[in-house]
Amino acid sequence: MSNVTFPSSASPGISTLSRREDAIHAISSQSPPVRKPAQRKSKTTSWWKLDISPSERDLLIASTVFKVLLFPSYRSTDFEVHRNWLAITHSLPISKWYFDTTSEWTLDYPPFFAYFEYLLSIPAAVVDRRIVDLNNLNYDSWSVIVFQRSTVLITELVLAFALLRFIRGAVDPSTQRIISASLFFHPGFLIVDHIHFQYNGFMFGILLLSVLSARNPAYFVYLLRAFCMSPQGKLQFARFLSLANIVIAVFVVSVGPFLLMGQLPQLANRLFPFKRGLNHAYWAPNAWALVTALDRVLLRYARKFGSGFAVNSEGVASSSRGLVGDTVFAILPNVKPIHTFIITLAFQSVFMIKLWRTPTYKSFLCALTLCGFVSYMFGWHVHEKAILLVLVPLSLLAGENHAFFRTFILASVAGIYSLFPLLFTPAETLVKILYSTIWMYLVFRPLHRRVYEFPKSLPMVIVDQLEKLYLAGFILLQLFVTAFPILTKRLTQSQNNESKQNFANSTEPGAHPIDLATTNEGSMEFLPLMLTSVYCALGLTWAFLRLSYTYIKSSPR
Amino acid sequence: MDMDVPDQAPIDGLYPRKASGKRRLSYASQTSGNVRMASTTGTLSRAGQLRGHASTLTVRSHAGSETDQTEIHSPVPTRHFLLQTESHQWLTSGTLSGSPASSRPTSPVSAVSTSFPHDGFSSTSPRLGRRQPALSFSSLHEYGNSTSKDRKLPSASGSLRRKDDDRGEDGVDAGMGRRWIRWMHRNRMREGVLPCSIGAALWIKWCVGLGGYSGAGTPPMYGDYEAQRHWMEITNHLPIRQWYTYDLQYWGLDYPPLTAYHSWLCGLIGSFINPSWFELDKSRGIETPESKQFVRATVLVSDALVYIPALVFFVRALHANRSKRTQSLALLSLLLQPSLILIDSGHFQFNSVMLGFTLLALNFFSQGRDELGAICFVASLGFKQMALYYAPAIGSYLLGRCISLGPKAGSRLFLRLAITTILSFILLFLPFLPPFAPLTGILDPIIRIFPFNRGLFEDKVANFWCASNVVFRWRSWLPQPALVKLSAVLTVLGFLPSAAQLVFAGWKTMDISNGADVPKASSQKKDVVVSVPTLPILPWALLSSSMSFFLFSFQVHEKSILLPLLPLNLLLSGSPHDSFMFNWGVLTNNVAIFSMWPLLKKDGLAIPYIATTFLWNYMLGYNPFRKMTHRRLLRYISLIIYSAMFLLHITELLFSPPRRYPDLFPVLNVLISTPVFVLTWLWSIKRGTEVTWGVVGLSLRPKSSKRS
Repeated sequence: MSNVTFPSSASPGISTLSRREDAIHAISSQSPPVRKPAQRKSKTTSWWKLDISPSERDLLIASTVFKVLLFPSYRSTDFEVHRNWLAITHSLPISKWYFDTTSEWTLDYPPFFAYFEYLLSIPAAVVDRRIVDLNNLNYDSWSVIVFQRSTVLITELVLAFALLRFIRGAVDPSTQRIISASLFFHPGFLIVDHIHFQYNGFMFGILLLSVLSARNPAYFVYLLRAFCMSPQGKLQFARFLSLANIVIAVFVVSVGPFLLMGQLPQLANRLFPFKRGLNHAYWAPNAWALVTALDRVLLRYARKFGSGFAVNSEGVASSSRGLVGDTVFAILPNVKPIHTFIITLAFQSVFMIKLWRTPTYKSFLCALTLCGFVSYMFGWHVHEKAILLVLVPLSLLAGENHAFFRTFILASVAGIYSLFPLLFTPAETLVKILYSTIWMYLVFRPLHRRVYEFPKSLPMVIVDQLEKLYLAGFILLQLFVTAFPILTKRLTQSQNNESKQNFANSTEPGAHPIDLATTNEGSMEFLPLMLTSVYCALGLTWAFLRLSYTYIKSSPR
Repeated sequence: MDMDVPDQAPIDGLYPRKASGKRRLSYASQTSGNVRMASTTGTLSRAGQLRGHASTLTVRSHAGSETDQTEIHSPVPTRHFLLQTESHQWLTSGTLSGSPASSRPTSPVSAVSTSFPHDGFSSTSPRLGRRQPALSFSSLHEYGNSTSKDRKLPSASGSLRRKDDDRGEDGVDAGMGRRWIRWMHRNRMREGVLPCSIGAALWIKWCVGLGGYSGAGTPPMYGDYEAQRHWMEITNHLPIRQWYTYDLQYWGLDYPPLTAYHSWLCGLIGSFINPSWFELDKSRGIETPESKQFVRATVLVSDALVYIPALVFFVRALHANRSKRTQSLALLSLLLQPSLILIDSGHFQFNSVMLGFTLLALNFFSQGRDELGAICFVASLGFKQMALYYAPAIGSYLLGRCISLGPKAGSRLFLRLAITTILSFILLFLPFLPPFAPLTGILDPIIRIFPFNRGLFEDKVANFWCASNVVFRWRSWLPQPALVKLSAVLTVLGFLPSAAQLVFAGWKTMDISNGADVPKASSQKKDVVVSVPTLPILPWALLSSSMSFFLFSFQVHEKSILLPLLPLNLLLSGSPHDSFMFNWGVLTNNVAIFSMWPLLKKDGLAIPYIATTFLWNYMLGYNPFRKMTHRRLLRYISLIIYSAMFLLHITELLFSPPRRYPDLFPVLNVLISTPVFVLTWLWSIKRGTEVTWGVVGLSLRPKSSKRS
């Protein structure tokens, strides 16, 4: 494990580097070069002159059909949010976009997303005028469902395109094909995009395609070191300036109109709501979920045995009720946004230093994953959907060696499972479980065969067994989560009946049966969610540690 | 040394069951191995041993790559040359049919195998101690191929085949299903194909179930969904005597008792989870998400418990001598059959249970367990009376079987069949029979099950009556009883040929001399593989009889097209891509789904209608627009039909029907669909005759003497 190398660090690293360069030039000059595939089989049939082999076309079509079948499935409020944004961007001038409060779902995504919604609203108005009617709140006729769902499908083609390009340039196309397919069929995207409704596939398509996301420091260091520095360590000013120009230009295009209108404060206000708490309503399974859970356990302990903990009365009230708001700990010291910021930055800088020393493509991918992972683990008010930020780049590493593959399995299983509570309706339970199981089998099996290594030492054997045990535990967890509501429902029903009888029999006032039932239900209602969160957090924390260790210990050669 | 000589030379002819791609590789690796060995050690005798190593080595070096060189296989144990010549397959594989579209040639099968000189080598000993002309189900494809125009002569060099295989290997025609199965095999996930196929099918069925269903949100009567749910409600709250009499105006129970028992069980489980879903009268029209999901789940679970095992059994039993991949593909195509998914999981019905029981009956027949088969068919009838569409075929098959066994054994079988059938019917109706109910009690279900007081046809259904009604106006010409008689006569005429074929075939294979062997055979029944000569005729007979019922009988629903589709799809599964069977079968399937379009449109299932149909066609690699060098006529016919269907859909989307003819689109739909169904019916009779001919010949004398 300690001798992990990056096999493609020599010549493939250079080739990928030049690919990056090409990408940058292509973006700056607005003329993407026509790329010939690296390994083009003579038998590959041209299909509408697109460079797609039959198996890739199969994947594309199968995925599309599966996702089309999910059109009538559950939609979260995000669906209405996006419809409202279509209406805002279509019927209001740009100066009013960030001020409109007709609906409670105000526009709170960055400007590029607003432009994107504006583009989508043009065909939307053709399909059905009422989609873009600002006052037509909670509109859910077939036209809008089909339209919005298909926009997700169509924009996801960007992801397909990016993944196809990954295959074309890959050292081992057959492994990369599995990884690309796994990403295109990722249960995370299926759950978040195609059922819950968002445009993550499109976003990640862009993320994978381009280097524009300057938000992630890993990009900066990688570009700075490998692109702007000559091998001798001299800074190449022309390159540096071109890079800086691109970043600035993009930023200006994005924010420019609002800057001109003097709306930046309002924009910032919408984009960064710091009023929210440390944890989301459903704790995203990160480090803070573990800390919060520990706090709950300590509180129980303190109540029972009355040991010398100073109990914060505010924290007792702010328990795991699943309310959006500030999380206050009862026993442990409270966490402020600045703490999370510092921890995140500290971890990220460690990986940045490592990346600075080994600026290869694989190292870059690994650092990118880890930066996302750190933000997810220690960020302020992290949403569980953010796990995709980790899983997507991590998937690209899965075929490297067994250590990465094992981390990938752990993170994927825990991460995908942690997305399950997003779909709480009974109909989607089978959809998500069955789909994820088949996906895991079809992805893990062939990759496992390619990278498997026997655990070499006794500690590794123990770790290996523990990890397997952990993965098997998800079956028990799912059984519990499924059975728990039915059982408690029956229990509370019988209790309710009993207490009703008691109430009818007894003459003393005060014992109100309904109160009793609701409190009982209320305290137990979030137990499955809490358990899911903590169990997934365990796995993800372990995966994070594992990946960090693998990365830090890896030697460049 | 002698044993090694045929190792290489006759290998092309001796292993017809292997894919030629496979053979090519093993041949190559074998040759290199042999050459190397010969040069180093000089002993040919070791080459045979090392051959296996060489091939596995080659294979390992290629593992994981995407070229077709990775066709992996374990070394084939070689039998002695003399033994090989006795091989069933070899003797009967006169036609190594090079089907250009499939990646491997259809398995040569024991289509017309006659007696063998050395019985000692054969592993199968038929039930009655005498070798019947061994015929398996998939021999039909073989038969179809041998009659097709593009039949290729077996070439020793295999070069011709190789060229064809290349087209099949990576060509567009191979189909997604086959490509996926191949990928699974290459990645050593062979054992995962079955669970993944079943899982995917269940997933798709469930997703279709997310959409609309029959009568969603349309009080006061709702639709089929409410009917089924209502039966779960009344069977759980009423004594059995009232099941068929309670409030008949609101979806009174009109299916046979097995459906009632099934509803009772589902209702029982549902009431345990949440009693309010099935409260008597109060729960009418309940459409909460939870109750809906539960009722949907009952369909999926019944499907998974009856229909899917029956399909797996079918593929294992009746495609036994096809390759693993073809079996998997056949299963996949049967699992994803869109019409059944759309009606059962979308529109909401339990057809798959009825079809599953019929299929189980067919499977048991193929194993020679006629009594079990009969019980299964009674269960099918007891679940839905519509299984009667199959009854003529099944009945005449069993009759033919009794005849073919000869007077003594045949009459014993007949008695056994009669007793088991009657007993299972009695068991089915037990709660309505004397000890438990007065004698008149049996009348309640019977009256409800056979409604002759309804019209000739209800909605627009793509059968003969509805289509010809455009011209003839039957209902104004003839009174109701006359119509009933007319339809009965036409239906009987429709299935008579196929029934006659089965009885005739039974008579032709009749064996008079063998009655004495029966007790011995029945004592060894367990480990005996029975050959059933008339079995290949049965699916055609099922098709033609159910199709004639659909076309000509009284009171047909558009959903009844599912019944002819079952045997059609059984025949279709595993047929090579360029065969008439494949092309016509898929066409009929697509037309059948199209004929149910008005129904599906009403249920709000437009998206699953497009998605599942497209997926199934794509998975099979069906492409009606592909240029074919032969079968021009078929291609033109399909093109005309598809363009008509497409045009109708477009017109319906863009225009509303004229006020004078509000039913214009459904009627046009019927006019497009009916000719296809009629042609399928005629074709099934024709093919049934051909198969009968192939099995027993057409001379009128039974083969009375035992061959030696």
